[in-house]
Amino acid sequence: MRVAYWPGCVSRGFTPELHGSMAAVAPLLDIELVPLDRAACCGAGVIAEHNPELADTLNARTFALAQQVDGAELMMNICSTCQGAQAECQQRLDADDDYRARVNATLARAEPGLSYERGLTNKNLLWLLVEEIGLETLRAKVRRPLTDLRVGPFYGCYIVRPRERVGIDAEHPRDTYLQLVIEALGGTVIDYAGTYKCCGFPIVTTNKHASLRQAGRHLADAQEAEADCLVVPCPLCHLNLDLQQPAAARELGRPLAMPVLHLPQLLGLALGLSPKQLALQKHVVRPTSVIDWSAAVVGAPA
Amino acid sequence: MPRTDVLIIGAGLAGQRAALAAASAGASVAIVSKVHPVRSHSVAAAGGINAALDPGDSWESHAFDTIKGSDYLGDQHAIEIMCRAAPDEILWLEHAGVTFHRGEGGRLGTRAFGGASAARTYYVADITGQAILHVLYEQLMKHHAVVDRYEEWFTTELLLDDDGRCSGAIARDIRSGHLDLFDAKTTILASGGAGQVFKPTTNALICTGDGIAQAYRIGASLMDMEMVQYHPTTLAENGFLITEGARGEGAQLFNAAGERFMERYAPNKLELASRDVVSRAEQTEIDEGRGFPDGTIALDITKVPRKRTLEALREIVNIGRDFAGVDITREPIHIKPGMHYMMGGVKADVDGRTDVPGLYAVGEVACLSVHGGNRLGANSLLDTLIFGRRAGEHAAEHALGRRAPRAPAAKLRDAQAEIDAILAREPSAGSRRIAALKDELGTTMNEHVAVYRDADGLATAHAIVRRLKEQAPRAAIDDRGTVFNQDVLAAFELSYMLDVAEAIVVAAQERRESRGAQFRTDYPRRDDDAWLHHITISRNGDGEPSTGSAPVTITRWQPQERTY
Amino acid sequence: MADYTLRVRRFDPDDHQGPYWQEFAVALEPHRSLLEALLAVKGEQDGSLALRCSCRAAICGSCGVRAGGRARLACNTHLERVADADGAIVVEPMGNMPVIKDLVVDMDAVHWKKIHRVTPWLLPEAPEPEREHLVPHAAMVDVTQTMACIQCGACVSDCLSLEVDPEFVGPAASAKAYRFVGDPRDGAQEQRLRDLAEDEHGIYDCTHCFSCIDACPKGVAPMDQIMRLRRIAGVDHEIVDHNNGERHEEAFATLIHDYGLLHEAELLPRSYGGNSWFGKFHPAAGLELVESLPAIAKAVLRGKVKPGQALRGHRLARGDLDAVHAIYDAVEAGAPSERERVAARDGGGQS
Repeated sequence: MRVAYWPGCVSRGFTPELHGSMAAVAPLLDIELVPLDRAACCGAGVIAEHNPELADTLNARTFALAQQVDGAELMMNICSTCQGAQAECQQRLDADDDYRARVNATLARAEPGLSYERGLTNKNLLWLLVEEIGLETLRAKVRRPLTDLRVGPFYGCYIVRPRERVGIDAEHPRDTYLQLVIEALGGTVIDYAGTYKCCGFPIVTTNKHASLRQAGRHLADAQEAEADCLVVPCPLCHLNLDLQQPAAARELGRPLAMPVLHLPQLLGLALGLSPKQLALQKHVVRPTSVIDWSAAVVGAPA
Repeated sequence: MPRTDVLIIGAGLAGQRAALAAASAGASVAIVSKVHPVRSHSVAAAGGINAALDPGDSWESHAFDTIKGSDYLGDQHAIEIMCRAAPDEILWLEHAGVTFHRGEGGRLGTRAFGGASAARTYYVADITGQAILHVLYEQLMKHHAVVDRYEEWFTTELLLDDDGRCSGAIARDIRSGHLDLFDAKTTILASGGAGQVFKPTTNALICTGDGIAQAYRIGASLMDMEMVQYHPTTLAENGFLITEGARGEGAQLFNAAGERFMERYAPNKLELASRDVVSRAEQTEIDEGRGFPDGTIALDITKVPRKRTLEALREIVNIGRDFAGVDITREPIHIKPGMHYMMGGVKADVDGRTDVPGLYAVGEVACLSVHGGNRLGANSLLDTLIFGRRAGEHAAEHALGRRAPRAPAAKLRDAQAEIDAILAREPSAGSRRIAALKDELGTTMNEHVAVYRDADGLATAHAIVRRLKEQAPRAAIDDRGTVFNQDVLAAFELSYMLDVAEAIVVAAQERRESRGAQFRTDYPRRDDDAWLHHITISRNGDGEPSTGSAPVTITRWQPQERTY
Repeated sequence: MADYTLRVRRFDPDDHQGPYWQEFAVALEPHRSLLEALLAVKGEQDGSLALRCSCRAAICGSCGVRAGGRARLACNTHLERVADADGAIVVEPMGNMPVIKDLVVDMDAVHWKKIHRVTPWLLPEAPEPEREHLVPHAAMVDVTQTMACIQCGACVSDCLSLEVDPEFVGPAASAKAYRFVGDPRDGAQEQRLRDLAEDEHGIYDCTHCFSCIDACPKGVAPMDQIMRLRRIAGVDHEIVDHNNGERHEEAFATLIHDYGLLHEAELLPRSYGGNSWFGKFHPAAGLELVESLPAIAKAVLRGKVKPGQALRGHRLARGDLDAVHAIYDAVEAGAPSERERVAARDGGGQS
């Protein structure tokens, strides 16, 4: 399937391993990524805090660009924060015709011919996997079942709350998708306290201690629950959980050694790619130094 | 042993307003509430508060509407005081910070309400009671240095000294189980109504008539106890209130045949006739087979523009969605009359004084009477504030210069012994559970003492209440602990409810007439010659309550035929 | 009728044992509320089960509990929505507050303490008008959202910042603060904002997790109110707090203007040192950069980040950046204050 692909800012900045592994994994999932290179940052909720109309207009431009991609079935992102921040803007734009017209007028002045039409479908990779590709298809594509790999899911706030905006309901139990995907890939889901909590990234500059305490706690809880690794669909969470893990350990006053995988990396391993191809060695907390891969990942590589 | 000039029992609108007024007047004040003050049932009052503030309106018009609404049982001098004082009270509230709805030019705006000849109801969306109650509590927090708050303390009895004067109360700290004696120069009862005597009811679980029973037990008379208001629009299953504000905004009532039947019963005011008229109309439609199979009537709020509903009736949107599975902006909601308010209560004068010296009563617990046989919507909030303030001022003034009472410690020991006895209750073969007794009481009252009553039904109810009074002292107790023991409190509340129920039934039996909220099918006419007076109830040892009468004060409005 | 098992977390301080689980079987129709189920247990099985409740209609705020792991009112929680496939419902007291007994928590120690913290009464500007203050209709409609808070504590219970920082002012108190900041009659807007912006545990301590928005039964959306408070403080009043809150927000907005994409290496120093290229030379920024050196060094070592690229950041192409600039010019310059935004919501005046 062809998707208008919004990679976000951080995947091209401080978590390049995410961007690369998504590119590697897409063809294996029959996803054709048409990158929205012209689009601007989603604002991460911070621009909306500063000036809601500014965030709405910047994202309306992104949506409009996505709508211009020929043959794209929907827009896809690889970041919980982008998903949530964009959904908030889209909700405001879709709810009020007059407001949307005004934003579109600004867009037209900034870039003639650009206009956002109400009702774009914007999905995070996680949702796409379950809702568009399907767990059965995913299962069938697995080359290296993640047998014996104990994975702790960490969603990231913006993709599970608020429930109504995120669209969690009986038909779309989106707050279970990470667990379902882990299992479809052959892994074991680890139940621990931090699954739906906050990594602390939003306050890392305003209250560093509280920020690191959050990250540290969830990592420690996963460690106590004997997870081999966490999997996250958000690079901002990844930064606070992986890049900041040594600092979090210092804040907590206890050792932490919990590898954190991006969702495409977990997918890639199961679909047969090697850790090197998925740039796992770029992580601050290296998976290869913690997991005995020959024991944890059973089955011949593809 | 806390000692105070003014002790206030109950922290709803009346109690909090009295506290602020008494403190402003320089008295030391203690306010006791069995729940956190913002949980008081005033919080559920939805539609608004009446005042003839608009220059085009007049307090006389407000007073007349109230008197007519009361079916001429209201005491007109008290009503005059209330209606005259209303405009200033609204401004006082606005200055304190209440977030009233605004109209033209940023001025206070009104909505229409039942039984009113002009739009004079000031409101905050459909959470007026909450908005005012929370603002009053903000003021109590601000004045914490002069008002001592005893939050989650359960009053178990009022104290009488040897001269027959109320000297304070005994209350239990629910959190710790510690019992204490409050010595007070004056005591203001503001403990609300007794809706839990009926099932279903719009009232909260805490509305168990504590104050009414406590005052009754130390000799205060009760008045107009037969006057129990059934609100026209309550949810059938659980009795939840759908505010009159909906009808004020233009919602209409329909029977199962799709007929707007109020055109037959109240051709002028239609859905905004007084509550007893509308409730009787609905009940008649239901009894005569024109209601829906579940015994309800349709309230159609889709007649109100959707944007307006979402702005001014948010609460009902929530209630419809959460408790009836209905989107009121798209379909009608099914309702029926449900027990809602007690016009009757502890007999008090316009300064809140009861016939027990030192004891005041204000708000729903009291009966002045400003509501007579039927209360108009949006007049209760007004009643609590006007008379709450007056009682607070009067009690403060009265307390100054008086010597503080000092109740003997024996009273506290006796009270503790009573509680210990409850805790020591052994389960026995015949003991029923408190919840089961409550249930039977409520169902009985709702069946025989509701919109339409008759002698046989009332006699049946009376007999059942008496039987329940015998069973109550042996009701099972599970919790023997001290911390947050709600079982013990439930035992107290049950006994209060039974006293109140008995008073209601006896009063209803005594009034052989239909007036206001009381409609007797065996005495269907209003008979001013024989019955234009209040019925009072007083304790008579352990026997049947004795009945008496009190005159209705008429100033300038002679009773007329009452049609809408 | 359906069969449910309530698994209740109980605690009785009198028995010196500590918390324990107890199961109760209840049969009720699925659309009935959790409160009705709990009251059935209390009424028919065990009167010692302690819980606060009163109105049953989601207006008094008494019956806050955690059901299925999330804080909510027991009275408007339908059994079928919160039971698992086997009809089991886990019921616990609300979080972040000490437990007094069973489902009753000490709201005074946490919730009400924080409410007190924000001076929760109107501070009107003197002199008082003779009649009512004249207030725009839209402003009263706006603060009705925060006035609708029934002080149930559900947001406080589930606040993730409070979990790691018990001194955080919290969502309920912040919403209460907005109730006054947004009220044109209050004369202390700037002081209130300065106080909460400069407090290390104030409005910039919110971790933006949306838990309070989900927990709130009344649509108060506390987190949204916190964001508004930040906006009014930083943008309308230009309060530059020492917590880096305003600087962070300004820097983010500026960087997106200048680059179109987030420039992480600039964002960090500017948040500490001020919103300009020179921000990184401010002592505060310097200190932070030194503290972050280990993390930065590791990132470079792993090849995650190339120093040159990190320092340069990545920019949108010229044409796209022009479009971004045009959008900023149209929307950011001359942006209305929050008060103006509220007033613009309706014609102002007639209902």
